[in-house]
Amino acid sequence: MDEKYEVRGVFEKKDRAVFISHLDLFRTMQRAMKRSGIPVWYSQGFNPRIYLNFPLALSLGVESCTEIMDFEVTEMLPYEDMLKALNRVLPEGLHFISMAAPVCKNKDIAFAEYEFEFSAEGINGEALAAAFDRFMALDKIEVEKHSKKKGTVLIDIKPHINVVSSEITGDHFKDAIILPAGMELNINSNVFNEAFIRYGGINNVEISTKRTKILKNDGEKFA
Amino acid sequence: MLKDKIEKLLLQVRTPSRYIGGELNSVVKDKSKVDMRFAFCFPDTYEIGMSHLGMKILYSLTNERENFWCERVFAPDVDFEKLMRENGIPLYGLESLEPVKDFDFIGFTVQFEMCYTNILNMLDLAGVPVRAADRKELSPIVVAGGPCVCNPEPLADFIDLFIIGEGEEVNLELYDLYVEMKKKGSSKQEFLEAAAGIEGIYVPSFYNVTYEEDGRVKSFTPNNACAAPVVRKRIIKDMDKVFYPDTFVVPYCEIVHDRAIVEVLRGCIRGCRFCQAGYIYRPFREKTTDTVCNETKALCESTGYEEVSLSSLSTSDFSDIENMLVKLSDYTEKERVNLSLPSMRIDRFSRELMEQIQKVRKSGLTFAPEAGTQRLRDVINKNITEDEIFRACRLAFEGGYDAVKLYFMLGLPTETDEDITGIADLARRITGLFSEVTGKPGKRLKISISCATFVPKPFTPFEFEPQATEAEIRHKQDVLLDAARNQKNVSVSWSKYKVSVMEAVLARGDRRLCNVVYDAWQNGCKFDGWDEHYNYEGWVKAFEKNGLDMDFYACRKRDFDELFPWDHLDYYVSKQFLVRENRTAHEGVTTPNCREKCAGCGVSKCIGGSCFG
Repeated sequence: MDEKYEVRGVFEKKDRAVFISHLDLFRTMQRAMKRSGIPVWYSQGFNPRIYLNFPLALSLGVESCTEIMDFEVTEMLPYEDMLKALNRVLPEGLHFISMAAPVCKNKDIAFAEYEFEFSAEGINGEALAAAFDRFMALDKIEVEKHSKKKGTVLIDIKPHINVVSSEITGDHFKDAIILPAGMELNINSNVFNEAFIRYGGINNVEISTKRTKILKNDGEKFA
Repeated sequence: MLKDKIEKLLLQVRTPSRYIGGELNSVVKDKSKVDMRFAFCFPDTYEIGMSHLGMKILYSLTNERENFWCERVFAPDVDFEKLMRENGIPLYGLESLEPVKDFDFIGFTVQFEMCYTNILNMLDLAGVPVRAADRKELSPIVVAGGPCVCNPEPLADFIDLFIIGEGEEVNLELYDLYVEMKKKGSSKQEFLEAAAGIEGIYVPSFYNVTYEEDGRVKSFTPNNACAAPVVRKRIIKDMDKVFYPDTFVVPYCEIVHDRAIVEVLRGCIRGCRFCQAGYIYRPFREKTTDTVCNETKALCESTGYEEVSLSSLSTSDFSDIENMLVKLSDYTEKERVNLSLPSMRIDRFSRELMEQIQKVRKSGLTFAPEAGTQRLRDVINKNITEDEIFRACRLAFEGGYDAVKLYFMLGLPTETDEDITGIADLARRITGLFSEVTGKPGKRLKISISCATFVPKPFTPFEFEPQATEAEIRHKQDVLLDAARNQKNVSVSWSKYKVSVMEAVLARGDRRLCNVVYDAWQNGCKFDGWDEHYNYEGWVKAFEKNGLDMDFYACRKRDFDELFPWDHLDYYVSKQFLVRENRTAHEGVTTPNCREKCAGCGVSKCIGGSCFG
């Protein structure tokens, strides 16, 4: 077996790139890798492909400054060089912030932190904040969750919503929330959004979502 | 800003990345610094349009010029169209995300008759009057090109001018003229009159058509001194030197042909009598091997694609094919790029070629014998013998293939029930060959027989022929099913007659059909080429309203001396030649391919007398 080295990249996905689905992101990154000239490792087998791994998928429409992409190279180059080579060929909205050898294992991912920004025409920030408080004061926040194994099940997400901070800025209301992520229990940011749209009592609410951190069980950053 | 409005809606629709632009290699310019903005519209979805090579060529060609800006526009899928209409979002260009009604040109590439209603729908969605006569200002000028405009008459009321033939030169001439006249403050009429002076430009409003009492065209006369009695198509003389993009826009979502495409040749030497492309893209011209290799390398490097397809009507007719494949694979193997070779002829199918194809993926093998008996293959000039079919199948089975797809047409001129049972018979003998070669039972071989309904097209030797009626086609389908009944490894499918008949009507239609196309669109017809959207009733009602008969257009045998709605367009292929080929077809006699012997179609005069050497 030839030598290979693992690399973990952290990248942003923003602007128009938020409309790239997870599957399409995979293909987009493969092609970018190809264009970059990085000596990337190909999977073996009948149909060799550039090997890439995204440990935590991001929902369509969600912005992020902390996405993880793992790949392997057959020849070790300075991280800085690879970072530049890849950034040079990436389309708008995708940009790598750092590259390094992976420290954690994928299964260490336990939480993700999001920034939710609420707005609604004709409703000011205070009213939105009040609605959010009422929402969080509900006894239960039940949502349907779909899984391949169990089909559709009803779960109460309230105990899993950890509000870190909140802030009113003019007509907007913003808060930072930590939700479970990873293999054990994964609550997608969209699940939270749908719950708020359903129970928050504001019909025309618009929520923009940004993932800001991926965390381990001990609350430390996944790296 | 339109962009914000669009983004707000995107999470409600399927595959939103189709509607927001920003793809790698898309060209964004400063609109204050360009003289001409062109909206290149493909009247079908993003996935289909983004696969189309002609659009990629003309997009890059136009954007190479600093003072021109070409943007891409596709038909939004029905879910997004609904939201666009509800939210007042007009049709926009993917590069600027600005309304196309403010552009200088709105141009359509017309690849398929069943997209005509989409053209009207896109104009309407753009907020532009669909009829040319209702658009009074200089801009936007609505233009159209592509294979279907060899008979543009069913679109004549909607399009200001048609671009006939290959676009690489004439398009730039047209834009330059426009820029010059826009600066002078010319009117639309003045521009159209000047444009009519460019070879390859056809302005339909400059002609009057009269009809016989029975509906045939009686006369076709220019009504403007600037209009030539006959408009001749444009061709590129030096294929090897013609502009070719060194980069493609790379989509995010999966499209139909998601790969680099290198065009290796234009035209076709074969002369299959049913095939419009084989006549309207003449003469046969090739690139050199070096050019093909250089273009492949440039495209793969700039896109990151890991597959390249060598495209043409018949890639195996490339005269230097073996050498080219060897040279190309030097690069592709090193870079792990897959090479795909569509459009291979069965008689050129060699072990070497098969190995090349297999390097990509061992999938099913597709052959198009088109007809079940040698007699009928001779009639249509599909110069393939049964021996060649079996030789190719033998090679394939030895190479491990266990699935064969066979394409046929039903309703070909002179076809009898015997020709139909010949299809099932051919399948049976292919199965027998499989057992003989592999020693496996015949049921291990999967044969899919796929039958299209023959559609007679302009500028082919069969332009005089009637399309089979629905009852005739039903009968032929029954005969085939009956004949293939005992073959469990064979599956049979066919295209929908109600689609094929509309294709036949529009392909040879006259100007009176403009009102039918309009009314069909008003009746809700769009995406007519999509089974799930096709609304045959909408078309039937439109014909009734206009007192026109579909059979007159589709199922009527034409005399050799009839004046056709497209006879004022000159594709260099002479009508005498088409008549001669039609007669030869009915005698069951084949015509050799162009490389073997010139058939005198008339096209050689445009490139100095001889297509070869």
